[in-house]
Amino acid sequence: MQETQNPRNPTASEKLQRLLISQEGVLFLIMLVSVLFLATRTDKFLTIDNLLQQGRFMTEIGLIAIPMTYIIITGGIDLSVGSILGLTAIVLGWTWQELGFPLELAIITGIVSGTVAGFINGLFIVRVGVPPLIMTLATLALYRGLAEGISEARSARGYPEWFFQLGQGEFLGIPSQLWLLIVAVVIFGIILARTRLGRALYAIGNNETGARFSGLTVNRHLLFIYAFSGFMSAVAGYIFVSRVSTTRSDMGTGIELDVIAAVVLGGTSIFGGTGSIPGTMIGVVLIQLLKNGLVLAGVTSDATIVVIGSVLIFAILVNNFIQRRSGES
Amino acid sequence: MKRTLAITLILALLLALVSMPLSADGHERWDGADDLAVNPLACGMGDEMMDEGDDMEEEMEMMEYDGGMAAMGDMDMAGMDIVVVDVPKLIGIGYFAATTLGQQQAAEELGNVSVSTDGPTDANIDDQIQVIDSYITQGVDGILFAANDPVAIAPVLRKTLESGIHVVGYDANSEPDAREWFVNQAEFNGIGKALIDSLVSQKGADASFGIVTSTFTTPNQARWVAEMWAYADKCFSDLDWLETLEAQEDAGLSFQQAQTLINKYGEDLDGIIALTSVATPASADAVNQAGVCEDVAVTGLGLPNAMRPYISSGCVQEVYLWNPVDLGYAAVYVLRAVVDGEFKPGDSSVMAGRLGELMVVNGSEVLLGPPFAFTAENVDDFDF
Repeated sequence: MQETQNPRNPTASEKLQRLLISQEGVLFLIMLVSVLFLATRTDKFLTIDNLLQQGRFMTEIGLIAIPMTYIIITGGIDLSVGSILGLTAIVLGWTWQELGFPLELAIITGIVSGTVAGFINGLFIVRVGVPPLIMTLATLALYRGLAEGISEARSARGYPEWFFQLGQGEFLGIPSQLWLLIVAVVIFGIILARTRLGRALYAIGNNETGARFSGLTVNRHLLFIYAFSGFMSAVAGYIFVSRVSTTRSDMGTGIELDVIAAVVLGGTSIFGGTGSIPGTMIGVVLIQLLKNGLVLAGVTSDATIVVIGSVLIFAILVNNFIQRRSGES
Repeated sequence: MKRTLAITLILALLLALVSMPLSADGHERWDGADDLAVNPLACGMGDEMMDEGDDMEEEMEMMEYDGGMAAMGDMDMAGMDIVVVDVPKLIGIGYFAATTLGQQQAAEELGNVSVSTDGPTDANIDDQIQVIDSYITQGVDGILFAANDPVAIAPVLRKTLESGIHVVGYDANSEPDAREWFVNQAEFNGIGKALIDSLVSQKGADASFGIVTSTFTTPNQARWVAEMWAYADKCFSDLDWLETLEAQEDAGLSFQQAQTLINKYGEDLDGIIALTSVATPASADAVNQAGVCEDVAVTGLGLPNAMRPYISSGCVQEVYLWNPVDLGYAAVYVLRAVVDGEFKPGDSSVMAGRLGELMVVNGSEVLLGPPFAFTAENVDDFDF
């Protein structure tokens, strides 16, 4: 029809149309509708204070969702992020309280061990060829077990005041950790969309063998993203400890599912090859706003998770429908 | 494909080998106790009520009020209708359904309180924090809570107090200054003593037993284990403490862990002490199914409805608890009294409807009473 015989540059309206039917566009519309709907239900929802507070709560999930997007784009998965978060928190608290490290060094030790934990995932996946699902399922249990073993189930408390700056303080009126998330999203969003590294990840996800034969250092890329995932989970662990002011070995339990839900909701295909950071972030924000807005609108928590599950399915259906139609035309 | 599978299997074996010494090594320490100070009660059975009474009076004189204060609002809410939200550790289990029932009864009696219950669907510290935060934003007059972690919940509770919302805890405490009062269902040493005494009375002072707990980090359970340990050490040092196993608050997992104890120790196992309202019926079920009701005594903390079949059939002699309906009931009365200005720091007791006068202990805690034994004689009188 008309579209096929139109090789000229797209006009503004066509650009808009293309944006609207993109994964992110559809999701953004769903988010907008949800926000407007929730805002009509309660006047406590759409306030700066509340939204910033939600930004604080979603930072850990948001940070981990970035490397998770990378990993899922390559066709992999990382189930151990919650356990790495817990392990980092315990190493941080334990080295500080039991081994007497200065707190600054304890933070670095925690983040390094989280990164190493992620690197070990990558090593086994790349060198031994263990499927990512199996490997990270194993380390999901292993790292959590380590955290419990190291901590002997005791929690570390009584951190000095400055330590809470990142988790509970604010900078220029915005929660401190939200700045970190914004910077990370911009940097890693650009890396994925605009650099060689980003394109390599898509290539690996679309056809790993093909990518290998075209001379891409696939193994090095995979090693990097799993270590990166460990690193970001570790940073999230530090922020989490700073926010709740205590260290427990069960921190971050189940967070892997929240992260994966946000990434998939954001349009990243679980089979690899497609996805974007903006999409993922809309997914993270949408889930957080629904959680909060529904409670404010008087819906109880058990009903809220039902609604969130339904929205997940609905968003994916709408997306599939629109993608298929635009593919046909 | 085959190669991958083989490698995966080898890897799994290696992991198992690596983690084995970890768990075996720490055996002695894995009793699930915390490292806070313990205060075991005097030895002997049957007179625990007396002991608790003595203890209570001593502590009353010792401690000053150490709770927090809600910021003053614009208006005095005394006698006015108030909206209260209750945020338990999690929703959807029998125990917190019972506290909710008690809260509703209190609200009905008082007539000027409306209480609703909302909380995380699993016992997750962060979800609980977010739910409370949302209710601060929504603006209620009072919050009742049962903390998943005493420290982690403290910042959001302090924020609640600063917003002029009254905060009363029950079941699981927070840091004292993050709330006004805490309704203490039973002192830890009272429970520790009751459970050990129950085991000894059934299986003798040299019994071997295992424990099924929720997790090693859950504050209440860790305290009970510590107090049981201390009391057993003081009074029945011949008791053989086999192992403490974690089972979350999960019925299936609790059943498995009880089965593990039965299979692992066989003849040597004389008793199982279960520390959650989910683990006790699950342990009784495991013992029942294994056909070892005669050999293994199950005792612990349990709700009457869940325990009725096992107590009626004689498989389980007794379980202990406080009455969670009364616990929720008392929490609402305490909150109402605080709002009305009738219950202030420094007071030594508070009136709580049908429960009468409740004593203040440990500075800013209201004690519900001694632990309560559910036996074949009384289990049918309760419905929760």
